[in-house]
Amino acid sequence: MEFTIFFFFAAVAVIFALVVVLHRNPVVGALSLVASFFALAVMYVLLEAPFLAALQVIVYAGAIMVLFLFVIMLLNLQHVVEPSTRPIQQFLGYTSAAAFGFGLIYYLVKYAVFAKHPDGPFVADARTIGMELFRAYVFPFEMVSILLLAAIVGALLLSGRTYQKREAAP
Amino acid sequence: MIPTHYFLILSAILFTIGVVGVLTRKNGITIFMSIELMVNAVNLTFLAYARQFHQVHGLIFVFFIMAIAAAEAAVGLAIFITLFHHRDTIDVDEANLMHW
Repeated sequence: MEFTIFFFFAAVAVIFALVVVLHRNPVVGALSLVASFFALAVMYVLLEAPFLAALQVIVYAGAIMVLFLFVIMLLNLQHVVEPSTRPIQQFLGYTSAAAFGFGLIYYLVKYAVFAKHPDGPFVADARTIGMELFRAYVFPFEMVSILLLAAIVGALLLSGRTYQKREAAP
Repeated sequence: MIPTHYFLILSAILFTIGVVGVLTRKNGITIFMSIELMVNAVNLTFLAYARQFHQVHGLIFVFFIMAIAAAEAAVGLAIFITLFHHRDTIDVDEANLMHW
């Protein structure tokens, strides 16, 4: 049963990831990425991290991907036809990515197959993560909050200035 | 219980798909989405190892990566909006100069 769920959602994740990469329309790509992230949230549940699965759905599929969709629709990109890449770039891209992927999987199978299962259940709920976060990782946590503030200011500055310029130009 | 290396191989496949997207596409937003895909593949690896070794540190890393990905998405998309206002395209081949 567990394996059925794993393989089904692994297939969903991989197929929608391929749609993201291969489809010409960025709106379809963004929605497929949402589906792929949902399948990955199921993987997180299988890995006994339900709190992070919830975060994945809320933060990634909910917030970040909505931001992507808003920008695609704001820029009216759904009708823009993307020029196809040069054949040499396509060839080099596909072959080097395939070589990279095969190498990665080869070394994973060679060195990272664990003989023993992890012993006992390990449920990482919000309490476990919160205790560790505010005990050992307080400083990085505060740094991340400052980073998010800097990102807000940076995003406002970048997109706000062009708007003023646009208004002043004509 | 599903063995850890199943998750690692799934993560490797997703990461490779992301690499293909970054190397072969021209649309800036699609390249950005491929990067998000790679970030998620790495998150999956962190969680797989966290379960294998019963370490909560991997979960904390995933938490931080999500926060940083949110910041990165906000700033990156702002850059693309600026680029589009100046050039009327988000083709990354058009943005090969460091000034407007």
